[in-house]
Amino acid sequence: MKNVHAIARVVIATGISSIVTQLLVIRELLTQFSGNEFVIALTLFNWLVLGGIGTGLSHFVTRFHKKAGIRLLGRLSFLLAALPVIQIMAIRILRDDLFIHGASVGFYPTLTFTFFSIAPYCLLVGFVLPYSLFALRSEFPDYPGARVYILDNIGDVSGGAFFSFVLVFLVSPLTAVFFSSLPLLVSTWLLFPAQRRYSPTILFYALLTLSTLIAGICFETESLKPREGKLVYYHDSRYNRITVHQDMEQYTLFTDGTPVFSNQNLEMAEETVHYSLSQLEDVQDVLLVSAQGGMMIEVEKYSPKAVDYVELDPEITTVQFNFGLLKRIPGLNIIHKDGRAYLTETDRTYDAIIVNLPEPETFQINRFYTDRFFGLIKEHLAPHGIYSFSMQGFDNYLAEPQRRKLSSLYNTVKKHFANVLLLPGQKVFFLCSDQPLTTDIPHILDKKNIETNYISYFFEGNITTERIKYLNDLMDPTVPENLDNSPRLMKLMFSQWFTKFSTSPTGFMIILAVLCLIYLARISREEFVLFSTGCMTMGCEILVIFAFQIFFGYIYLQIGIIVTLFLAGLMPGAWFGSRLSHMGAKTLALTDIFLIIMMGLLILGLLKCGDRLPVVSFLIFGFLVSLACGFQFPVALYLRGGDNPAATRTFSADLIGAACGTLVTSIVLIPYLGIVWAAAGLIGLKFVSLAVIGLTHEKNQ
Amino acid sequence: MKKINRRRFIMCSAALLSTSMPAHALWPFLDEKNEPAGSADITGKIFKGDAPEKPWKWSHEGFLYEKLSGGRVMCGICPHRCMLAPGDRSVCRSKVNIDGTLYSLAYGNPCSINVDPIEKKPLYHFKPRSRAFSLAAAGCNFRCLNCQNWEISQVKPHEVRHYELFPPDVVKKARQVKAISIAYTYSEAVTYFEYMIDIARLAKEQGLHNLWISNGYINRKPLLELCKVLDAANVNLKAQSDAIYRKLCGGRLEPVLDTFRTLHEKGIHFEMTNLVVPGYVDDPDLVKRMCAWILKDLGPDYPLHFLRFFTQYKLDRLPPTPISTLVRFRELAMREGIRYVYTGNIPVHEGNNTYCHNCKKLLIERRGYHITINNMIGNQCKFCKTVIPGVWNDE
Repeated sequence: MKNVHAIARVVIATGISSIVTQLLVIRELLTQFSGNEFVIALTLFNWLVLGGIGTGLSHFVTRFHKKAGIRLLGRLSFLLAALPVIQIMAIRILRDDLFIHGASVGFYPTLTFTFFSIAPYCLLVGFVLPYSLFALRSEFPDYPGARVYILDNIGDVSGGAFFSFVLVFLVSPLTAVFFSSLPLLVSTWLLFPAQRRYSPTILFYALLTLSTLIAGICFETESLKPREGKLVYYHDSRYNRITVHQDMEQYTLFTDGTPVFSNQNLEMAEETVHYSLSQLEDVQDVLLVSAQGGMMIEVEKYSPKAVDYVELDPEITTVQFNFGLLKRIPGLNIIHKDGRAYLTETDRTYDAIIVNLPEPETFQINRFYTDRFFGLIKEHLAPHGIYSFSMQGFDNYLAEPQRRKLSSLYNTVKKHFANVLLLPGQKVFFLCSDQPLTTDIPHILDKKNIETNYISYFFEGNITTERIKYLNDLMDPTVPENLDNSPRLMKLMFSQWFTKFSTSPTGFMIILAVLCLIYLARISREEFVLFSTGCMTMGCEILVIFAFQIFFGYIYLQIGIIVTLFLAGLMPGAWFGSRLSHMGAKTLALTDIFLIIMMGLLILGLLKCGDRLPVVSFLIFGFLVSLACGFQFPVALYLRGGDNPAATRTFSADLIGAACGTLVTSIVLIPYLGIVWAAAGLIGLKFVSLAVIGLTHEKNQ
Repeated sequence: MKKINRRRFIMCSAALLSTSMPAHALWPFLDEKNEPAGSADITGKIFKGDAPEKPWKWSHEGFLYEKLSGGRVMCGICPHRCMLAPGDRSVCRSKVNIDGTLYSLAYGNPCSINVDPIEKKPLYHFKPRSRAFSLAAAGCNFRCLNCQNWEISQVKPHEVRHYELFPPDVVKKARQVKAISIAYTYSEAVTYFEYMIDIARLAKEQGLHNLWISNGYINRKPLLELCKVLDAANVNLKAQSDAIYRKLCGGRLEPVLDTFRTLHEKGIHFEMTNLVVPGYVDDPDLVKRMCAWILKDLGPDYPLHFLRFFTQYKLDRLPPTPISTLVRFRELAMREGIRYVYTGNIPVHEGNNTYCHNCKKLLIERRGYHITINNMIGNQCKFCKTVIPGVWNDE
């Protein structure tokens, strides 16, 4: 019985460590590669698929070694505790060794690197969970598989909550690894019988693991040092990694590995501020949603009464002011909030609103370029007011994917403003107003006696009348608008990303579809139910977070709670499931129907109520969906016979389904079809699952 | 002692030679030409079987190529010397082998046309304040990770929207907009050589100047042909390092240096630009090496521009070049003996101005594309009457 508790502790500790590692590794990969939705989905997909393969592998291993033992489990668990440090360090070091330093990497290299860099850990973590079950069963042959699933979920939920609500606020990634792996290290050491714990071999393994974890903390900053200049600030905030590099007298702020701005990039600050503010007779109230280095100095030239500066991440503003990237000017009011949430809540109106956010590469950023957001802007703009935002620019030729992207934005914003003017350059600036707009910016600046270094002397050569006309004439009215519920812009962003690397995801998608079909053809009906439920649960989670951000903004804690609840329901669900598993396939069908209804209700709620939906409804929804998912696991396992091979196959089906759900929902269903059709697709999948249950049930009868 | 026979001697020598080959990598005086490029050499590849079946309207037979056996051809324009089987497309994406004939697909179909201030090229010593009718067709023989114009340089001619403008139309258009020169720029003019040379010949006949803005990756023979009608050039000297050329650009250094030598030999006015990419090109030793080569092979009179790097295209994870690095490099190059060194991509800075190399007085003050002070009289310094190298307005 002692062993049972010891193994149970290891399973829980593995859950804690693995979920924290997953979150950290995903963040690390996003920092090292592009942070677009494609890469996010791909990383999570690889993680889940490799976990599924690892689970499958344990089945093969135990075929040849009939008796799973504590000794191997212990050694593997020590390795599992140390591996996150090695993995994160390897990602940081190999990134620049395998790819060109400073250059971004395309789709297939990212896919390959992600896959191989996380493979050792994911395969091992996928392997250990069923292996723990086999170890338990070698002593207690009737030990229920569902119980291990529950224990793992307890670990996952605790680890997820520990990271999202504690570690992310307090410590750096490798310190987080230390704290999350410590329980695993201790529980693994305690796994060995008392007389063996002090044997040189076990002590060696334990100390080696501990040293690796401590070494991670010691070399953390060292591993982040840039090749050029020096690292003068580093912090992993809850939103992203913020670093400041100093090279001579230049400070450059990086977020997630990408330079955002420097204290010497004043051209961009001039363009961002003066293109819009110069159009106004009198500038009193200005709203800045995020900012460029040097912007405040330029805004100050108009002597505004109030400048509200909204920035989501307080760490960013701290860095901006501490390193002189922004100046504190009279009337400046800093608001740490999601820009969209701020506009929804405030009743202030502004003469000028300048949105200065990155390209809409993620669902989170896309919300600032939609029809509804532009409507929100209009509500808060004075009748004579001006709104401006910018997109990545071009030098001499507007390529087709970018033309479509700009056209989509143009068509969306044009609905709200009488005049929309696009100014080309290093960035393309959208100036939107109901008042007439002028293109001769140097002239109006001259009239206002405003001195600039860049616009006054370069505008005429760079932003010629012909170039302005060329750009504005190329806008295509047939390109669909970007809507909250149908983020077409993201599809165009994907296409632009692929064009940049002269590649296409088609090959990958075809291979994936073929592999998926082969897999689906080989699995049982119960496994298919779990596959579809895993798929739907992850799809639902992505949909819910996407919708939540649209209506309420990116509110870290609440989104963290939603994610936690999507895990938390699994435990009670599995508990109920293990008690009702004897009721057979009928319960699987009922939970499938329940999931279909839940999804239908979500869509109805989103469409009919939108932001009037209470936050708690998202939380309840997440909990209930995961409850149903957790419920189905023990039932399916029971129906498959509950033996070791059945356990590995059901674990795998759940993980592979979750992997497919993540990938398909975030990079295909939502960007290409919109929220409603994405939900319909997931409902459709569950109908197929119902049909499979029904048909095979009939056949069996 | 046992005698060694001839066969054994050859075998042993070969074995010794082959085992000693890896030691080459450790040789401290490694020839710069063969410096390893590290993890990547991004030189472009031939696109097998990618040519269209028939030439399109904007095709022109290649200016310089060799017909080989089996219908293969070898393009002679640039040092890649692409060997194309029927149906293949060149590294630059503009040349194809259709049934044993080499065609350029970039003829009369420019994808970008603008009228630019000449200072934008940058050409500071050629007809200041004049305007250049600038055009580009798709394609490039390099793969620069920081290309400013990758939308047109890294695509095939049929993948871009284009104008229809055959050589006589270009010259007509340039005259219409009152430009005094035509600049072949933005993408890489070497890849649309046939189009460029035909325009340049016509332009020359009609009194327009020809400006070549290039990476300088061209063979001597076509360059000599171009020099007959060329008035000025701005050629990129990316780095005095073959490894960097291969790693960041997908080309080689030596042919570019040859281009400079040829331009110098033919008396063409040219200016050099060096983009200071942090972490790669921001090495003072590299600058010293570059200056030493310039002084030895070209002399001190050709203007050199150090440009500030900003993230572009795929090279988007590096900080911009600190302004003081450019200032330091300018001072270093001037100390080494180059007379006219400028800093670029910095809005207002004394490094944009021209100072007389003899009396050190301010000759031309530039603020952006505006010239606010001009102390030149013809081609001479107003103060000390020294002749300033370049092609000036009264010439």
